[in-house]
Amino acid sequence: MKKIIAILLASLMLLALVSCGEQEKVKDEQPAEEAVEPAGQESGSGEKVTLENIKLGFVHISDPSDMGYTYNHNLGTLKMKEALGLRDDQIINQYNIEEGASCETAIRELAEQGCNIIFATSFGFEDYCIKVAKDFPEIEFCHATGFKAKSSGLANMHNYFGKIYEARYLSGIVAGLATKSNKLGYVTAMPFAECISGYDAFYLGAKSVNPDVEMLVMYTMSWNDPTKEMQVAQALIDKGCDVIGQHCDSTAPATTAEANGVLHIGYNSDMREAAPNASLTSAVWDWSRYLLFAIDKYINGEEIPVDWSEGLKEGVVDITELSELAPEGAAEAVEAARKRIVEDGYEVFTGPLNDNQGKEILAEGEVYLDEQSAPAFEHVLEGITVFE
Amino acid sequence: MTLISFINAAVLAGTPLLLATLGEILTEKSGQLNLGVEGMMYMGAVSGLAAAWYTEKLIAPGWPAAFMALIISFIVGSLGALIYAFLTITLRANQNVTGLTLTIFGTGFAKFFGEVLSHKAGGYVTCADPTKAAFAKLDLPYLSSLPIVGKLFFNYNLLVYFAFIVAIVMAVVFYRTRAGLKLRAVGEDPAAADAAGIRVIRSKYLATIIGGGLCGIGGMYMSMVNQKGIWVPECVSGYGWLAVALVIFATWSPLRAIYCAIIFGGLTILSLYLRIPGLDLQLYGMLPFVVTIFVLIFTSIRQAKEHRMPKSCGVNYFREER
Repeated sequence: MKKIIAILLASLMLLALVSCGEQEKVKDEQPAEEAVEPAGQESGSGEKVTLENIKLGFVHISDPSDMGYTYNHNLGTLKMKEALGLRDDQIINQYNIEEGASCETAIRELAEQGCNIIFATSFGFEDYCIKVAKDFPEIEFCHATGFKAKSSGLANMHNYFGKIYEARYLSGIVAGLATKSNKLGYVTAMPFAECISGYDAFYLGAKSVNPDVEMLVMYTMSWNDPTKEMQVAQALIDKGCDVIGQHCDSTAPATTAEANGVLHIGYNSDMREAAPNASLTSAVWDWSRYLLFAIDKYINGEEIPVDWSEGLKEGVVDITELSELAPEGAAEAVEAARKRIVEDGYEVFTGPLNDNQGKEILAEGEVYLDEQSAPAFEHVLEGITVFE
Repeated sequence: MTLISFINAAVLAGTPLLLATLGEILTEKSGQLNLGVEGMMYMGAVSGLAAAWYTEKLIAPGWPAAFMALIISFIVGSLGALIYAFLTITLRANQNVTGLTLTIFGTGFAKFFGEVLSHKAGGYVTCADPTKAAFAKLDLPYLSSLPIVGKLFFNYNLLVYFAFIVAIVMAVVFYRTRAGLKLRAVGEDPAAADAAGIRVIRSKYLATIIGGGLCGIGGMYMSMVNQKGIWVPECVSGYGWLAVALVIFATWSPLRAIYCAIIFGGLTILSLYLRIPGLDLQLYGMLPFVVTIFVLIFTSIRQAKEHRMPKSCGVNYFREER
């Protein structure tokens, strides 16, 4: 019996060895193919990468069913794809990639699959993006919301973002007119400049039409924790807020506002469908503008700028159509402000502004402008209470 | 007033934990350590929502949809547990590994079908207002509008009361019935129980499957109550693991699980209602686990037998090895 088993085991091992050998053969062949490809690309960049053969890679933190951040980015991708008439196989999406070491693998995979431009869309991807960018100098890396491209000194690393605070300013106007308790609530992710500049602008918008308005801000300490977002929204409502704004990924603040009979201003997508009895409007992105811009630059052999950020004027950010719940006069007030920003070049962060400790940030007439694509304004303004 | 709101929010945060914890207590009492709570909750979350959504389309929104969500999430949760039960009880695979695998499987299951649903719905997968109302907090005449008592006792959704009833029923079954005694015997020493004529395999299967079903309902709470009937991919977000920790915190007792779940729920939202100066937000997130560690330390110092894990928990039973 033992002998039979021993023979069986031995033959099994032999089989395994043979199959391993075959695999190795396959592996041997692959690099040969790959070796041809990059060579083709190098001469290709000298010759021409056209819309016919360009390959784009995307790394996302979630997938489009989040109806939020990733959904918006993907919408931009689809719009760009249609505008340029790209084929399905020219776009590789990596969904549900965590902001950890696994995203480096994901980015590297895209690079090895021969992508010409790789777009990484979440804040935490940046360091890994820079790491991979060093190893693939012929590939362009574009990272949304980051701020390290300039300091990395790499020619193929770029940051892009938009002046989302301009859209938030407009949505704040609607909130300021809608509130009855003069107390706005704001669910936001983290105490970073991106979030802080966002709620500052939201508050300034509200204050521009309602001087008595106050705002309460709470952090969830996560970009995507729907349960926490629900609980934070509930806590804000418990504290007397009657319009809830948000800078986080899920619809939880919207549905919580609806369940409590208060109003809501969304982010990333039109949330009227999710909370028809609460949603006033949402601040949204059109990422296709940047994608088209970057691809155009690449194909024409021009440099993609290290930092890129545009706003309301170029249509990168906007707010969705106001719902029927919006207060009277809101549409007119929003249009007036839009005109002021787009036509008269009004900047949201214009002095006089004080922070909530009473210190002067900007003097009368002084204007704050970002030096890079990611917003860097991180003073909590007077009238805003951060619960921390 | 803040305190009342805080307690109210703590009970709401504790309820999905309580349901999942009760499921896991039942499972562990039979000697099976199922670490797949998170996975089964995810399966319950997506299937409960899907059931409500399809019932709305095919039959009617409101109570029928809510009822189907409850039933289907129980069934799908228990199917997840059935996979685990078959692998560990019949095939005697390692319980820890199988449980972890079930977590990964369940999470993937939910995300996959969630996306399928989103494609079907062409956007948000949302339930209609009557269904949302069925899961909304109660509005009883007189009772709910009482000044303090109303908000403290009569202002929750029905699943909160359901979870409390399940806990009490489970305690009665464990400590007041013959079936409960048998089940506990299986969890402590399956060989002795087997010798006494108790059907060990059957009890283990039953407890694991019903326990999985309860976890499924806990998951359904996350999608139908917390997210108000909208599919959100991250809706369970670690509550399954909190529930596993809560089993230890409650020292395997369904009755203690009630107030332990409220304490746990309260600790998860403490930072939103009460800020201790100098305590960082991130530290608040650690609180439930720190408390669990302390409970573990204290119960092991006290050596109290009734507070211990069932003795055979995590060990597979081989009849032939007795």
